[in-house]
Amino acid sequence: MKPTQRRRTFAGWIGRRALGGVLTVLIASILIYGALRLVPGDPVLAVTGGRRLTPEQIEALRHRYGLDRGFAQGYLAWIGDALRLDLGTSLNYQTGVTSLIADRLGVSGLLILYSALLAIVSGSAVALVSAVKGGPVNRVAGIAAAVTTATPTFVSAIGLLALFSVGLGWFPATGAGTGLADRLWHLTLPAVAMALVAFGVLARVGNAAFTEELRREHVEVARSRGVGGAAVIGRHVVRNALAPMLTIVGLLFASLFVGTAVVETAFGLDGVGSLLVGSVSRRDFPVVQGIALIAVLLFVVINTLVDLAMPFIDPRVTVGGPSR
Amino acid sequence: MRVLAKKTPARREAPDGGAGDRRDALGVSGLSLTLGTGVPLLADVTVRVGRGETVGLVGESGSGKSLTARTALGMLPRGARATGEVTVADVDVLAAGRRRLRELRRTRASMIFQDPRASINPVRRIGDYLTEGLRARGVPARAVAGRALELLDQVGIRDPGGALRCFPHEFSGGMLQRVVIAGALSTEPELLLADEPTTALDVTTQAEVIALLKDMQRAHGTGMLFVTHDLDLAAAICDRVYVMYAGRIVEESTGSGLFGAPAHPYTRALLEASPSVHGDRVAIRAIAGRPRSLADSPTGCSFRDRCPLAGDDCAETVPAHRPHGQSLAACLRPGQVTP
Repeated sequence: MKPTQRRRTFAGWIGRRALGGVLTVLIASILIYGALRLVPGDPVLAVTGGRRLTPEQIEALRHRYGLDRGFAQGYLAWIGDALRLDLGTSLNYQTGVTSLIADRLGVSGLLILYSALLAIVSGSAVALVSAVKGGPVNRVAGIAAAVTTATPTFVSAIGLLALFSVGLGWFPATGAGTGLADRLWHLTLPAVAMALVAFGVLARVGNAAFTEELRREHVEVARSRGVGGAAVIGRHVVRNALAPMLTIVGLLFASLFVGTAVVETAFGLDGVGSLLVGSVSRRDFPVVQGIALIAVLLFVVINTLVDLAMPFIDPRVTVGGPSR
Repeated sequence: MRVLAKKTPARREAPDGGAGDRRDALGVSGLSLTLGTGVPLLADVTVRVGRGETVGLVGESGSGKSLTARTALGMLPRGARATGEVTVADVDVLAAGRRRLRELRRTRASMIFQDPRASINPVRRIGDYLTEGLRARGVPARAVAGRALELLDQVGIRDPGGALRCFPHEFSGGMLQRVVIAGALSTEPELLLADEPTTALDVTTQAEVIALLKDMQRAHGTGMLFVTHDLDLAAAICDRVYVMYAGRIVEESTGSGLFGAPAHPYTRALLEASPSVHGDRVAIRAIAGRPRSLADSPTGCSFRDRCPLAGDDCAETVPAHRPHGQSLAACLRPGQVTP
């Protein structure tokens, strides 16, 4: 295949991937919008929580949230606004949903990145060491991975709070802090609580990936050539396990975003997650829809990026599809 | 590491000065290998490969031929204990520590494995594979690149410059085995261990690869231990051939003697079990019973439960190697087999 031709196939492939992503988001957005219509009875009555309203008031509310329009019309208006970054107005705060979320994205974004970093570093390290060492180390790591994966985040959050804030007093129990250092200090416990499940998954899946790569013949061949132990691990084991690891990391990011709901509530952080929990209980559906849409978008974007990275990580992943 | 790297050349020069040419590329004597669980794998294996000599190691799957070859590089199964003596170009392999072994693998002995596609890391480039051995020795990058081009050219790969940047999946199996051979010879080893290097290739490619291997071996003066289950191939290219059964050497013969006058009943049975393109069409005769491993083989001669000549005396002790014609055979009734 000529280089120019390859470049063209590659561009086409990126285009198809991007299109697939957009389609996924569109379908998800229809479901998100449709969920409101699936609320038993009149959504407005659900929202107002049974307070007595005059028919005029109800009609005004229905008009304001586009419920007097048909499904298609209402959806198109909503998604059109969303494309212009207008996610509607919160029922509870009476301000724009977009700015509500944007204001809290700083805390939640940092929390997600912080816990992702913790999970990736510790999970990969444990996976690699346990795969290389084998024996009792491997068994202990396996148990640790199973326990952390199986422990619900709210349980580990409470445990961490009891031990490190209440007991030892090393970390604050609530609040997000001000300034980067103080914020990181405040976010450490929540980040750890959130990272635990991701750590377990990565340690487990990574262990399997590294173990599989360690058994490959080219690893033995490299050893038979007198290549040093660290170089063999780096060039032949870690390098080859990157593809499955990256796939898992991509999936974990999305689950961490959802995980903020529990952790931010437990640690009294004012982020997107706690906004979601509060909005669900207050039936503030524009906020819930907005956050759900962003979660889907984030999921699709990250996984598309992971897909796009694959041909660079594993040259056997074909770019052009069946034409190759 | 540093200390050793400096010391080694000095130690190499001394024997090379006088009797260097006489030392063997590989000397295995009385090698026994036992797993930590007590399962025996090899018993009293003696194999010698002179400098520039081609020696075959033949046997069925599980007879211990690959294991013997790997032991020459100090690549023992996890938890295995080895007794006896294994020397590769004056290095006592069984006594060697990690660093000494690494040094041995980098400079004096190379191994070629069965499946070239599995031998080369699929996500790295041909050039990375080819030069890995040299770079492990600390040869500077520029010198390595030049050498890589030279090697690829020697093994008959067109456009060596382009090949260096290719990925393994862009090459055919035969091409890849050429690359593997080039990589194995890149370090100018005194001993080449070829573990069924053509088994995974198709027949025409096999012939090419064998021819190349012999050429390269001659050009570099490398001693080669050629592990195979293909008796015809071994007889055709090897100066001497060892036949292995159940972790033991049962016969040692010259390449030509193996065909003409097989001394051990097992060798004879192996010959009869393989189809021949020469002479009359003779029915292929499978060997009765199944191949044994050393652990579950009978007392005395391991082959006696499958041997047409076996008598009660075969059960008493493991037969010693005794000369018969051009062979040394571990059999009480050598050469008595008639078809």
